[in-house]
Amino acid sequence: MAPHVCEICQTARAQILRPKNHARICAPCFISTFEAEVAETIMSTELFQPGEKVAIGASGGKDSTVLASVLKTLNDRHDWKLDLVLLSIDEGITGYRDHSLEAVKRHSAAYDLPLKIVSYQELYGWSMDQVVAQIGKKGNCTYCGVFRRQALDRGAAMLGVGHVVTGHNADDVAETVLMNLLRGDLPRLSRATNILTHTPSAAKATADSCSQEVSFTDVKRSKPLMYAYEKEIVLYAHHKKLDYFSTECIYSPEAFRGSARTLIKNLERIRPESILDVVRSGIDMAKLVPGGDINCQGSCSSNKKQTVAANADNEEEAEGGCGSSNGKESGGEMAQMELKLQQDELAETSGMETEIKLPAKVTQAANKSDLSQNTASTGMSSIPIRTKQTKSLGKPERNVAPPKQKLGQCERCGYLSSQAICKACVLLEGLNKARPRTGIEVGGNPG
Amino acid sequence: MPARRADSRAALSRTLDANLCKRCQGNPPDITVRGELLCKECFFRYVSTKVVKRMESFRVRNSQPGAERTLLLPISLGSCSLSLLHCLNSQLVRQNERTGRPGFKLHVLHVSDTESTAHLDKVKALFPDHVYSVIPLSDVSQLHYVTSIFSDQDRPTDLSGLLESLKSATSRTDISQILLRKLIVHFAQSHGCEAILWGDSTTRLAERTLAETAKGRGSSLPWIMTDGRSFQGITFYYPMRDLLTKETLSYLSLLQPPLIDLVVKDEVKPAVSTKNATIDDLMRQYFRGIERDFPSIVANVVRTASKLDSSLLDHAEAHCELCDMPLDGQSPENSRICYGCIRTLP
Repeated sequence: MAPHVCEICQTARAQILRPKNHARICAPCFISTFEAEVAETIMSTELFQPGEKVAIGASGGKDSTVLASVLKTLNDRHDWKLDLVLLSIDEGITGYRDHSLEAVKRHSAAYDLPLKIVSYQELYGWSMDQVVAQIGKKGNCTYCGVFRRQALDRGAAMLGVGHVVTGHNADDVAETVLMNLLRGDLPRLSRATNILTHTPSAAKATADSCSQEVSFTDVKRSKPLMYAYEKEIVLYAHHKKLDYFSTECIYSPEAFRGSARTLIKNLERIRPESILDVVRSGIDMAKLVPGGDINCQGSCSSNKKQTVAANADNEEEAEGGCGSSNGKESGGEMAQMELKLQQDELAETSGMETEIKLPAKVTQAANKSDLSQNTASTGMSSIPIRTKQTKSLGKPERNVAPPKQKLGQCERCGYLSSQAICKACVLLEGLNKARPRTGIEVGGNPG
Repeated sequence: MPARRADSRAALSRTLDANLCKRCQGNPPDITVRGELLCKECFFRYVSTKVVKRMESFRVRNSQPGAERTLLLPISLGSCSLSLLHCLNSQLVRQNERTGRPGFKLHVLHVSDTESTAHLDKVKALFPDHVYSVIPLSDVSQLHYVTSIFSDQDRPTDLSGLLESLKSATSRTDISQILLRKLIVHFAQSHGCEAILWGDSTTRLAERTLAETAKGRGSSLPWIMTDGRSFQGITFYYPMRDLLTKETLSYLSLLQPPLIDLVVKDEVKPAVSTKNATIDDLMRQYFRGIERDFPSIVANVVRTASKLDSSLLDHAEAHCELCDMPLDGQSPENSRICYGCIRTLP
């Protein structure tokens, strides 16, 4: 059989079978098509304003490396006049993050983009290695996720940047859609399918955007690669000879995500287009989420008000690079959910909840799970915090019928939070309290 | 049922004998149902309660004597639809015993292209009190409003020609299912049936949720999942929606006499080659595992999909001419079919 000729330029030999639609094309045509498609996504959604300062959340992995490379190329080519910077988070995981940060430093030099590294150590006083030493290997993903979400926003604010772009690709989004169907989280499904998410204060800030000050509570997030296939990102990196760091975080992905990931890979094998079809379905479903408002992009809290309490708390957790936002040991996560659902069902059938009306019941169940989650994650030092939590949670639940959540600011750090104290501060309090306490308990134990 | 509630509360406070059925504490258990060991009788009651609860609108007191409403029960002869037929038949028998008249009438429909009716004849013999019809799927070619879509696309309008013209196994299954549903709806409407009782179990509905999502038909989910008026203008009910597929299989095996041999095995071949695998096969296999290990998660998927608010698309004026779903921004300008159907008819 004669070698195939590129379907696009009709001259060069086709080297690439495009994962997205199985078109046979040559490498240069692939590169330019890939870039054109990302540009099309950005322009059709009017993602950036001319001259906007944009921070690229850079982990050193393939997605963010390709994102940085493509944005740099497109910015020059289309004269978007974007002010691009690289923003990296140093979680303080020895043997993982220190290596990938080296890659980011090389990118900074290669693309001539300024780089800012924000460490957990400087923001919170705790590196992930220290957190793991304190609480053990189980459950630390919660800390990492909660800390990361804030860290990106805080880092962006330090740079005076109001817009962070992340490297989430189509596979990630499709995975999140299926994962949230499996675990029944429609608000998150809706948020994951929005290319741009922002907070209400961000919406306000655009009105008087002349002010240079950027608060860490109004940073926009967007995913310019959300229609790009993971396989094509790898191909792009390969043919552009990009240097990236390819090691996953040492923690395995949570069970739901793992299950969804396998499913997406199998779907892709049966019908390659189905990844984008899942994304498309997710976008369509987001419009049907009760209480959702398409205009405010799904993530803003006025829209979120009607979602149940459990989500409000989770909101502060990362959509994160490592994909682990729930601090359960990986295999147990689905089993735990199964157990909880079974208990709910049992309670319902044996009539133990007959007095409670449906919306209230949802809040209560959600709060219950919240509390147990907090207890689990803060471990032994949780008692004083838990009482506080119960109070703040208890009030809205009692007097309002639909469980509305108001997004306010954390009393301590000022970060956006649906609770009086944001999740990061709660986690930190636990960590900080446990420090002296451990010492005392060790001393007291022998007796 | 306050009596049962009191029972179970009392049962909770008593110490349970783990060697006996958890509900009645009278018989040795025969089966584990969602973590509870139950005897046959209690399991049958569990199944029938779940179905009867979904059939509230068709109680005797809601029916006019002599003018009972006719409901269409399409059966594939799979375990779900057979269990449903058995449950509804028993419900009708009970209604007759108690009040002397039924709350509804059943018209059983089997769509099959095979000549042999041996299987269905056995079913008929077991449940003789209902009206039965058998029609071939190829009858769909006689529905002009269906075939015009294909002829406009220069495709064959006869069923086998049409299916052959489709490239992938997924597309063929997808189109067959859409046509099957259209044919059943048409049959119901032209035979004076007030509603259609679909046999889908929780597991089937969960499979469909993810399969439709993967086919780009996410916006159709709220209509597929919920009891009520459908876009085809007829009311849909899903009486089996609270039962798992594996529970229907156990039900048919434990019945006296067992009906499990009547089940026409749907060939779920393990995906040896992915070339011929379909998205529906993949989801069926996936949920077979989830159903075994995490049955409540299966139900959670269905519950989640049902939460999507279909009224948000009520304003849509145009509907896909193939699958009947609203075309609200779902397809390119001037297209008569939706995104999912465009995908499946490349």
